Amino acid sequence: MPQQPEKENVLSRRLNKVLETRIENDQDTLEALKELSTFYKENTLQARRNLRSQIEKRSLEINENFLAEFHEVKEAFDAVYNDIADMSQSLQDMTTRLQNAKKQTKHLLEQTNTFEEELSKNETQQKVVAAFIDKFILTPEELIALHGSKQKRDTSITSEIFVALDRVQKIHNDCKVLMQSGHQTLALDVMEQMTLHQETALERLYRWTQNHCRNVDNVDLTDLVTQAMARLQQRPVLFKYVIDEYCISRRAVLVGEFIDALTRGGPSGNPAPIEMRAHDPHVYVTDILVWLNKAIPIERQNLHLLVKLCNKEVPDVMQQLNDALSSICEGICHPLKIRVEKILNASTQATVLYAVTNLIRYYKKSIGKVTEGGLLATTLAELQEKSEQTFLLALQQQVNNALVRVEMPPRDLSPTPAIIHLLAVLRDMLSTASMSEGREMDMGKIVHTIMEPLLRAINEQASRLPPTDMAVYMLNCMYSMYTCLSLYEFMDERLERLQAQSDAQIDTLTSEQASSLVANLNLGPIYTILQDHSHGPLSGIPGMEPSNLRNFLGKLDSLITTPDMALLPQINLLLSSKHKKAVQKRAFDVLLAIYKQLYEGVYDPSNLYENPQNILSRTPEDLLNMLSK
Amino acid sequence: MSAGPYNYSYIFKYIIIGDMGVGKSCLLHQFTEKKFMSDCPHTIGVEFGTRIIEVAGKKIKLQIWDTAGQERFRAVTRSYYRGAAGALMVYDITRRSTYNHLSSWLTDTRNLTNPNTVIFLIGNKCDLEGQRDVTYEEAKQFADENGLMFVEASAKTGQNVEEAFLETARKIYQSIQDGRLDLYAADSGVQHKPSQPGRNTLTNDQQSNKDNCAC
Repeated sequence: MPQQPEKENVLSRRLNKVLETRIENDQDTLEALKELSTFYKENTLQARRNLRSQIEKRSLEINENFLAEFHEVKEAFDAVYNDIADMSQSLQDMTTRLQNAKKQTKHLLEQTNTFEEELSKNETQQKVVAAFIDKFILTPEELIALHGSKQKRDTSITSEIFVALDRVQKIHNDCKVLMQSGHQTLALDVMEQMTLHQETALERLYRWTQNHCRNVDNVDLTDLVTQAMARLQQRPVLFKYVIDEYCISRRAVLVGEFIDALTRGGPSGNPAPIEMRAHDPHVYVTDILVWLNKAIPIERQNLHLLVKLCNKEVPDVMQQLNDALSSICEGICHPLKIRVEKILNASTQATVLYAVTNLIRYYKKSIGKVTEGGLLATTLAELQEKSEQTFLLALQQQVNNALVRVEMPPRDLSPTPAIIHLLAVLRDMLSTASMSEGREMDMGKIVHTIMEPLLRAINEQASRLPPTDMAVYMLNCMYSMYTCLSLYEFMDERLERLQAQSDAQIDTLTSEQASSLVANLNLGPIYTILQDHSHGPLSGIPGMEPSNLRNFLGKLDSLITTPDMALLPQINLLLSSKHKKAVQKRAFDVLLAIYKQLYEGVYDPSNLYENPQNILSRTPEDLLNMLSK
Repeated sequence: MSAGPYNYSYIFKYIIIGDMGVGKSCLLHQFTEKKFMSDCPHTIGVEFGTRIIEVAGKKIKLQIWDTAGQERFRAVTRSYYRGAAGALMVYDITRRSTYNHLSSWLTDTRNLTNPNTVIFLIGNKCDLEGQRDVTYEEAKQFADENGLMFVEASAKTGQNVEEAFLETARKIYQSIQDGRLDLYAADSGVQHKPSQPGRNTLTNDQQSNKDNCAC
């Protein structure tokens, strides 16, 4: 052992050190001593000799323990190491694999992303398309509403068709927006499609309406029909066809009803058939016209009901309705015409015919307010004209019959019975006419029809009479006519004529009367002499002697006491006292004028009458006063 | 009887005379209606027509009596002469007999009317030149000799019809202006102003009378 010397040395030092040091303060030493106490139990030489080896042995043993322990640790570490190496290996693998996987997934991801994008795009598109479909394409229900169900061949119409049509129209309008937003082709396609739908639907609506328009008074259908008509108004041609169809059917119905009213009457004969009373023309024609006047407004009402939802502002619609109503009324024209004409031909009484004429006039006007123009208006106008003509003809006939024989005027020179009768007829007719419409014309015609032949007859009669009788007879007739006509208006011209004619006759009569007076009083020669101033003094002329004049004055006196005696007997036959007075006065005026001339002549000294006061005691004024008493 | 809506100053009475069939009624019709009336019936007694004309700015109503030409009505028609201011004496230029009777018509007229009555001779049917039987010259001479106004006219074409009526009216109006015609005489054939109250039967006829006895 090489370390021995050192050990000795160290030991020496240690001994020193131990000696030097205070052992109780050294912790390590204390520990070591403590340890030593565990195995060094007996302080023997042996023990002391062995101590060392024992310690070394102990140290060896501890080291060996250490070694064994470390060996175990080393083995454990080796195991750990191996594990870690394995792990590392695994990790390496995994990393590689991950790397690969990563490479492969990248493509996949890209694809997924693309798909996802497409998916969302598609979803948006789907929404757009759905919205488009919702907005621009009709649903099957709507299509069925529009076109009817194909399988069922169902032709009935429900109110849905109108909703659908509204939608079609709306889509059509929306297409314009679509077009503005740049989808021209699409918009045009849709529009075309909608137009097509609309056309077919309207066509279908038209057929249906045409079939059902007759039932406008059927409450269940009214709504649909009227709505349909409002739709069809967009297609004037179809609209017109429906109206035409309606007219045709109503025309037939109206004729049927008319004929029924005429021949069968109401249900169970109440009211009685109009023709039951055909024997009374007035009642008959009244009933017929009243019926028409009631029936036509109902037709008009129904017609307006049919189009109540239509736009009435559209030009021509009102005209179209009016034409339609005329067309409906066309059917009744023929039966109406036949019947009224029959009545007109059968009746002969002017008064009845005039009443019928006025009836036709009144109802023509009344019906004309409901339906303007058309065949009915023409027919009524014709009937009116015909009845007016027939009436005037009948009146003429009546007048001619009354005047067929030229009667001699009666002895009293009053109008003959025929004339009095005709004047009564005239008064009757005028009384009626003065209350009718268009009376001025009627009265003119009636007066013309009666008066002209009457005046001619009177002239004929008068022409066979001596002048005085003629004048009196004419005056009496004129007076009767004047009295009759002066009660009515519009007679001025006639009255003027009668007046002028009377004046002429009064002139004649005055002249006759004056001549007769002059003759009775022997004034003729006196007057002639008075006119002629070439003979010198009047008293010297034969016929103008005072004695002769006294003769005249005697007659004049008797005239003054009984003026009526001097009148022509016919003057007293004048019906009008005014005429009579006029004639008398004017005749006396003539007499007075001559007397005045005579008076002046007698009192004129150049005529050499003695005592003119004894010859002519009366002044012309006296005479005037006496005669006009 | 009201004066109506007419506003006129005078009424002139005319009479149309002449043989049967010379066209008296047609002349009247042409004048009042401005139309020719073919196949006009014979006048029975008298017919009557009126028209308002204007002379010298005055409105005048013509009351025209169209008399029957037939002899049997002479008694009736004579009544109408008396009040006439104008007499249109008509003959037919194609029938000489109607011309030959003029002097008897003229005598009647002169006897029955007052001296101031304007007599106008009308040769009617002058459209029938081919059938003329009376020359214009001889008729004109007849008219001049008797102091009548004269014109040839045609009721068919209306030629000179208006003139004859209007010329007569002018002449009558002239007489009034000259004071020759007494408006208040019953037989003057002229009435002043429409209807003095109760115009008619008794027109004031105080003075005039001479003619009344002369018949």
